[in-house]
Amino acid sequence: MRDFVIETTQLAKSYKGQPALQGLNLEVGRGQIFGFLGRNGAGKTTTIKTLIGILKADSGTACVFGIPVTDEDRSVKIRRRIGFVTEDKELYPYMTVEQILRFTRPFFPNWREDLEKRYLEIFDLPPKRKIPDLSKGMRSKLMLLLAISRGAELLILDEPTDGLDPAAIEDVLHELVALAEAEGTTMFFSSHQLSEVEMIADHIGIIDQGRMVVSGSLNDIKARYRRLRVVLEDPVELPTRWASCVEYVRQEGKVVSMLVNGNDEEIIQQVQSMPGTTVESFPITLKDIFLEQVRGK
Amino acid sequence: MLWYKGWLETRFKLLFGCGLLVFFFVSMSSMSPSGGVRAPAQINAFVSAAVIIVAMLSIVLPGAGIATQPSLQATKGLHGSMLFTLSLPVSRLRLVAVRAAIGCLELAASIGALCCGMWFLFPGLRAASTPKLMLLHLLVQLVCASALYFVGVFLTTFLDDQLRTWCSMILFGTLGWLSKRTPKMGALDILRAMHENSPLLSGAVPWLTVAFSCAVVAIAFIGAVKIAQWREY
Repeated sequence: MRDFVIETTQLAKSYKGQPALQGLNLEVGRGQIFGFLGRNGAGKTTTIKTLIGILKADSGTACVFGIPVTDEDRSVKIRRRIGFVTEDKELYPYMTVEQILRFTRPFFPNWREDLEKRYLEIFDLPPKRKIPDLSKGMRSKLMLLLAISRGAELLILDEPTDGLDPAAIEDVLHELVALAEAEGTTMFFSSHQLSEVEMIADHIGIIDQGRMVVSGSLNDIKARYRRLRVVLEDPVELPTRWASCVEYVRQEGKVVSMLVNGNDEEIIQQVQSMPGTTVESFPITLKDIFLEQVRGK
Repeated sequence: MLWYKGWLETRFKLLFGCGLLVFFFVSMSSMSPSGGVRAPAQINAFVSAAVIIVAMLSIVLPGAGIATQPSLQATKGLHGSMLFTLSLPVSRLRLVAVRAAIGCLELAASIGALCCGMWFLFPGLRAASTPKLMLLHLLVQLVCASALYFVGVFLTTFLDDQLRTWCSMILFGTLGWLSKRTPKMGALDILRAMHENSPLLSGAVPWLTVAFSCAVVAIAFIGAVKIAQWREY
């Protein structure tokens, strides 16, 4: 049996009758860097809030470290082992950097003074400065510092690089990967920046309308998905039914574009059996997979 | 460390309360330069002004520890750090309880300072009353003000700070108006128990109102905790 740090089964949650999660199944293994992707309103933040114990699911199960998150006492124990960066990057406006560190430290028995010092220096955060006087980028870095220094086994990062400039994003991502390698920390992070996800994640999950539509190892997914470009010499009636590995078919004039998930050989043969057609198979990027999953169907 | 957070949230509010007390003592001293508050009407006005200060403090100081509160002014929309607070390994019961306790202690300290100041700065009041009555007055003020304060704590769990402040003011204003219009509110009349029916003016403890206030404190606190535990932020 695999050791999942996060595991949800048929997780459902709605707000005033509006479904946010509709049977979400999610598995994040220990040590993985898991990129959680989805459009605005797809259910990413709802999932994260449920895992942290801020929201209660309507049905289904969610476990972190094998502990169900439903019960408040257990949720407190889970939170002691988690580092969390919130989407809004808001902290107490009446505290300085130094004060928020002093405040947060005692809650976490595994607090890492060495990491605190290291990242305080790397992120160049002025200890005496009040939080409202920090730029958005600096607040993002401070939140990361607070999350990393907890000595957490799992980092849940909701848009961690939001507000950072490209150079800072590069630095932060580099540090996160280094941390994951050095400490074996599991990372579960949501982002709209597909290039970031592609840069550091080894596993991804794409959520759409509260359901997981793609999940697995990034390399496997990229190897599995192919785009077929079919050029028709004459207008031909295309089959209405394809093998289940064809995720979509889109025709523009004589050019047909197909997204294939799995073995494309069979489809290529099927297409080539039609008279006067040429077919080419291309690897596709994470961005293509994402876009096709969330709007292509 | 929640105490530390609560202290940072409330320290300027407490300072504001201290300013109110100083203003109160200075203005009362200027009305009776020799500290000779002596006539019953004067003592009545004196206690009445003190009750207004206590009510103001019980409006300013409440908090439930979850929504972000600015240090001094009630500002809308500063709730972003709620997620950070809720991600800490602390139960919601503890968040509410610690913040409510800090405000309550500060309120108690302010009421203590107010009553001590009244007693020691105004010899006329000392001449017209006894230490026992003053002590009972202090206790009645503490219990009744706690009831007003915990209603504020309850409101804080689902209203933002600005709206909660307005609601508290409207609520206490209505209570004051009802108290004046309907003298037969009996045990429910918390403001009257702090003023006319207080031991300092009536010579007796309004036990029923004290009991009612204790019940309000308990119900409001339990309600606040339940809402904080149940609510999805």
